[in-house]
Amino acid sequence: MATNMLRAAATATGGPDDRRRRGRRGVRANENIAGWLFVAPVIVILGLFLLLPILMALWVSLTDWNGQGSPFTSQVPFVGTDNYTRLFTEDGLDRRDFMTAIRNNIYYVALVVPTQTVLALGLALVVNNRLLKGKSFFRTAFYFPSVTSSVAISVVFLFLFANSGAVNSLLRMFGISGPQWFADSRGVLHLLLGVVGVDSPPTALTQGGPLGLTWWEWLSGPSVAMMSIITLVIWTTSGTFMLMFLAALQNVPVALEEASTLDGASRWQRFRNVTLPMIKPTMFLVVTLGLIGSWQVFDQVYVMSQGDPAKTTLTPAYLSYRTAFRDFDYGSGAAISFVLFLIIIVLTLVQRWVMADRDPDRPRWGRRRRRTPEGSAK
Amino acid sequence: MTALAERPATPTRRRGNRGARTLASRFLGYAVLVFFSLVFLYPFVIQIGNSLKTEPDAAANPLSPIPDQLVFDGFIRIFTGTNFPLWLGNSLLVTLVATTGRVFFCSLAGYALARLRFRGRSGLFAAVIAVMAVPGVVLLIPKFLVLNQLGIYNSYSALIVPLLADAAGVFIMKQFFESIPVSVEEAARIDGASIFRTFWSVVLPMAKPALITLTILSFQGTWNEFPHSLVSVQDPSLFTLPRGLADLVSGSLGKGTQYPLKLGAALLATIPVAIIFVVFQRYFVRDANDGSDKG
Amino acid sequence: MTPRVLTRAAVAGLTAAALFGSTACGSGFDDPAAETTQSTGPASLQIMIGSSGDAETKAVQDAAAAWATSSGNQATVVPAQDLTQQLGQGLAGGNPPDVFYVDASRFADYASVGALEPYGDKISNVGDFYESLRNTFTYDGKLYCAPKDFSTLALQINTELWSKAGLTDADVPTTWEQLTATAKKIKAKGMVPLVLGDTRDRIGAFFVQNGGWLLSADGKSATGDTPANVAALTHVKQMVTDGLVRFPKQLDAGWSGEAFGKGAAVMTIEGNWIKGALQNDFPKVKYQVVELPAGPAGKGTLSFTQCWGIAAKSKYKEQAIKFVEAMTSGEQQIAFAKAFGVMPSRESVRDQYTAEFPADKPFIDGAAYAQGPVNAPKMDSVLQDLEAGLQGLANGDPKSILANFDKNAKAALGGS
Repeated sequence: MATNMLRAAATATGGPDDRRRRGRRGVRANENIAGWLFVAPVIVILGLFLLLPILMALWVSLTDWNGQGSPFTSQVPFVGTDNYTRLFTEDGLDRRDFMTAIRNNIYYVALVVPTQTVLALGLALVVNNRLLKGKSFFRTAFYFPSVTSSVAISVVFLFLFANSGAVNSLLRMFGISGPQWFADSRGVLHLLLGVVGVDSPPTALTQGGPLGLTWWEWLSGPSVAMMSIITLVIWTTSGTFMLMFLAALQNVPVALEEASTLDGASRWQRFRNVTLPMIKPTMFLVVTLGLIGSWQVFDQVYVMSQGDPAKTTLTPAYLSYRTAFRDFDYGSGAAISFVLFLIIIVLTLVQRWVMADRDPDRPRWGRRRRRTPEGSAK
Repeated sequence: MTALAERPATPTRRRGNRGARTLASRFLGYAVLVFFSLVFLYPFVIQIGNSLKTEPDAAANPLSPIPDQLVFDGFIRIFTGTNFPLWLGNSLLVTLVATTGRVFFCSLAGYALARLRFRGRSGLFAAVIAVMAVPGVVLLIPKFLVLNQLGIYNSYSALIVPLLADAAGVFIMKQFFESIPVSVEEAARIDGASIFRTFWSVVLPMAKPALITLTILSFQGTWNEFPHSLVSVQDPSLFTLPRGLADLVSGSLGKGTQYPLKLGAALLATIPVAIIFVVFQRYFVRDANDGSDKG
Repeated sequence: MTPRVLTRAAVAGLTAAALFGSTACGSGFDDPAAETTQSTGPASLQIMIGSSGDAETKAVQDAAAAWATSSGNQATVVPAQDLTQQLGQGLAGGNPPDVFYVDASRFADYASVGALEPYGDKISNVGDFYESLRNTFTYDGKLYCAPKDFSTLALQINTELWSKAGLTDADVPTTWEQLTATAKKIKAKGMVPLVLGDTRDRIGAFFVQNGGWLLSADGKSATGDTPANVAALTHVKQMVTDGLVRFPKQLDAGWSGEAFGKGAAVMTIEGNWIKGALQNDFPKVKYQVVELPAGPAGKGTLSFTQCWGIAAKSKYKEQAIKFVEAMTSGEQQIAFAKAFGVMPSRESVRDQYTAEFPADKPFIDGAAYAQGPVNAPKMDSVLQDLEAGLQGLANGDPKSILANFDKNAKAALGGS
């Protein structure tokens, strides 16, 4: 899973610094050649399959290429920013679909990120408890779902959430008749409103709304079908983030905790005032990695629901794929990709900015330093 | 913070009250751990159990891990009725080649960025960092366009070549090489060994832990890779396991539920990674620890 | 990141991009105008089908294998997971399958971008195909491809469950009112009365029975939001909310035929392909086929058809035409009919077909009053959106679903 690579890279901060290099003799001429030779394969591959694609897609997003022949001939109509404006300003199907996908993904993020963060931290705290045995077993158990294939896991969850599947039979044991998960397009917020008696939407909310959806549609909440995908994702990612928290917690000096215990601090106070500040950098990392990752949900949607029912599991990533490869509207599909790209880049920059701002000691990209927390037990 | 830490930790405790609390919290802790172990592992148990059931049995008792009657129909159909063996072969080929290539190329580049002084090095490193931030899913359409233009769409090259390098891998290797003392290789270099020779026979053997970590991550990543195969091939004889599995679920067999078969196929696709995970789990866990240990 | 590093990154990125931009150009951009070189001799044909199930896949595979052996060529049949998407990638990739199914609803899209080889005049005895089918696959006055077969919708009744519910032949519904009444009786016995696909291709039949349809007769304007259609859709919604109609997903089935085969519902509305599927997957099910109940405006059903498209980029067009010729021969069509229950597209074998399958009379009779598919270009995403509306029918407003369709359809039809 890509998250694992990302996580490994994001948390790896390197060993001792390279001050000894300053003492070395001058640059050897052949190091220049060797250096470029050594990095050449990686540059070629990343250039060909990362940078070049982005430029090509940028071009295609400005055209009306229909998937026939090459997009780089004069016959392909150049349409400027039409594909982008259609997503935002023109009232039509394209904007409706795009905004529906954005809405779905916002609710998805709003549920996945906090839940997985809290769950991961909670599990890490319990696993980290010095009084408990069998830590490594539990750690393994919680982490295992993260390493398996997203497609294979989606298959398992399709079975679990089938109408006569495991989740519904579990609910039945408690006397609850479960919903028909993947056929249920009702929004969870709408359902909750229904419980308090708001069955039909107030007309004020159905009359209008921003960006092609009515207020009532914006306020639907994730659909029941989306809830099962949300459950799946939380289930698979919590383990990874738990490991990250666990590593951070192991760096919280024992002496610090004991001292605060002596001060008569309650467990909650100790957590709030001692533990939490110590793991703050990891917390930010987890939240932002979660934010970035959850805007990319694709595999699960492709396997489990293909955007159905009633487009309530449509996400921008899946929509861009579908628009290009199903509807042959490659320009529009590429434009959606770029908007999504922008969203993720902004989140990444915000992450870096926040990390840099909050914690000046924290290693930042592109610059190197080393640091171990003061009073660290190591 | 520092002040707190320096305070002497005198171990005076009020026993009774604390003892009871400790016991209660220990009990609670185990309850939480066991509960979540079930949550995280029971789906796999269900998967195994139901893959050995008959279809009506699976539909009637989805929660039970024990088949009413042990049947291997699902697995027999996987090997006779689907292209599973083909997908398995493709996945093995792609994973082995891509992993080998990725580990080799990433170590080369990582070494160069860590040790060799050449013009444009810092710019390159910054580019690697920037590239790491590019989210994979927005590359779906672009990758297809490039593969198409290069004329390798729908081929093994399309499946493998783009997976041969990975910015995160370069980053990991660079960081690791920087942690190795430079003296050893300098000795080798003074003895007149070429740069590649020094790298290959002196530095690389010392980088074993990092190489293993990267190998495992690459193996897991390429084995599970799905969106890339979606846009790089469409010929069913080139499908990898995840692609074939997705096809099985929503495609040719999608019209019928056939859960035992699907669960069985998903299970078989999970096993290699599961084995690697169990055998090398300290490396899995380590890479996560590594980072925060120092951060 | 410091500004200095950023600048360097940008420079490095641009250098790399420029470097590889140029290599890519060297690899040659294909010229869309170039005629694909034709290969003679033994061909290796790739045939991609959007199969209705194992029955169809197997039948086509067998037929292709037989043709390959007798003609000395190779033919590989590929059942696509998602025909539209896989074909789209193939076409954009410049290496589409040689022969593939083209659905009537996508035909105009393919023909308008020049993806199809118009081979209609090269096939023997073209006049034998039903005229309405030939018209469906004609674009700019050229017949592009040979109709594969066609099918219509009818009502299937599980006879075992029928009698279990205490119903007799007299209860077989012929009108909407009777359908509702019978369904209520079945529901009272604790069974699901009717499983209905939540798509326009099933629910649309109710529009026709009420005198409406999504597009005007000339296919140029959208007529979704009409009183006839709204009333029909409201009627369906009523049946859904009353629990008389269930969608397949609600019954844990991929499509209605599966739910029907498992005995999860007493009735279903499907086309003649259900025969082959049931025979293959659920051979024990006993059922009977009747015409769809008539609505206020009389009888109505939907018809579907596909053709054998040949890619304009195929290297083996000549052999591909021969292959299609073999697949659309009267004899072969009867064989397909037997295997997966489609109706021959050639008039000359009609009598042979009715003699062979007297039970299919309701399907054939449906041809007289059937509404063909929407086949205007650029309509697919509009229809997809309608499907989404229909999936949410239980909580949706029929009028706004149809009004939405009109709005989108107008944009698509006007823009093309």
